[in-house]
Amino acid sequence: MVNAPAESALTTVDLPRFGKCSYKEEDVFAFPWGLPGFEDLRMFIVIQLETQDSILWLQSLDDVNVSLPLGDPWLFFPDYDPKMPSFARLSLDLREAEDYTILAVMVGTDGGPTFMNLLAPIVVNLKTRIGRQVPLETSRYTCAMQIPVPAAVAEAQAKARAAAQAEPVSE
Amino acid sequence: MLVLSRKLNQSIVIGDDIHIVVVSVDRDTVKLGIQAPREVPVHRAEVYEEIQRANRAAVPGTVPPPSQRPAAPANLKSSRQPPKT
Repeated sequence: MVNAPAESALTTVDLPRFGKCSYKEEDVFAFPWGLPGFEDLRMFIVIQLETQDSILWLQSLDDVNVSLPLGDPWLFFPDYDPKMPSFARLSLDLREAEDYTILAVMVGTDGGPTFMNLLAPIVVNLKTRIGRQVPLETSRYTCAMQIPVPAAVAEAQAKARAAAQAEPVSE
Repeated sequence: MLVLSRKLNQSIVIGDDIHIVVVSVDRDTVKLGIQAPREVPVHRAEVYEEIQRANRAAVPGTVPPPSQRPAAPANLKSSRQPPKT
């Protein structure tokens, strides 16, 4: 007799990076085409650590050793303009913009994120929960675009400048 | 690997609906025209290889200290809207 878990039952995995994590079937995202470099990995969950609110970890369920940090590209690149190629629109059934999400793979998160892959964003249809990495048909972006000073730091710098200006300056 | 010789403007067909035609030949550069169904992704091989390398490099080698609590699976929200085209 097969001991299959009932629908919505919790499955617990021991993740080398994040420890024990329980997920439901509804939490799983399917990547039917795999990911370049990880072509055999098809099932993923998304993990967010309390200490890293700007990073989402795309955690493979097929190989628990594989987890890729993803981030909101517009957080760092406000003019990012990924035109979805027709193969992506058709294969992911992308219609309304609010039905899908576009995230970028980050590199160098151990010492703080340093690069973002804007050439090939991860696109996920939120209704079907099917995702795919989509290489854009453009030479505007690369796989490793330097992340500018984080927004928080920029804000702090702006505040510091404003404070300095508020002080009477003798000229 | 199947190797075929083609002259200028000659083409090959892959399956029923992928046509590749030699558009021009200039020294060591061959220009190809590719006609494929809209759902078929077509990329330069170097681009795909670069994405493979970038993805492998993105997986961190080191494991964070156990003090970083594992979280329950998160959900995804729709992106901020990219500019309308």
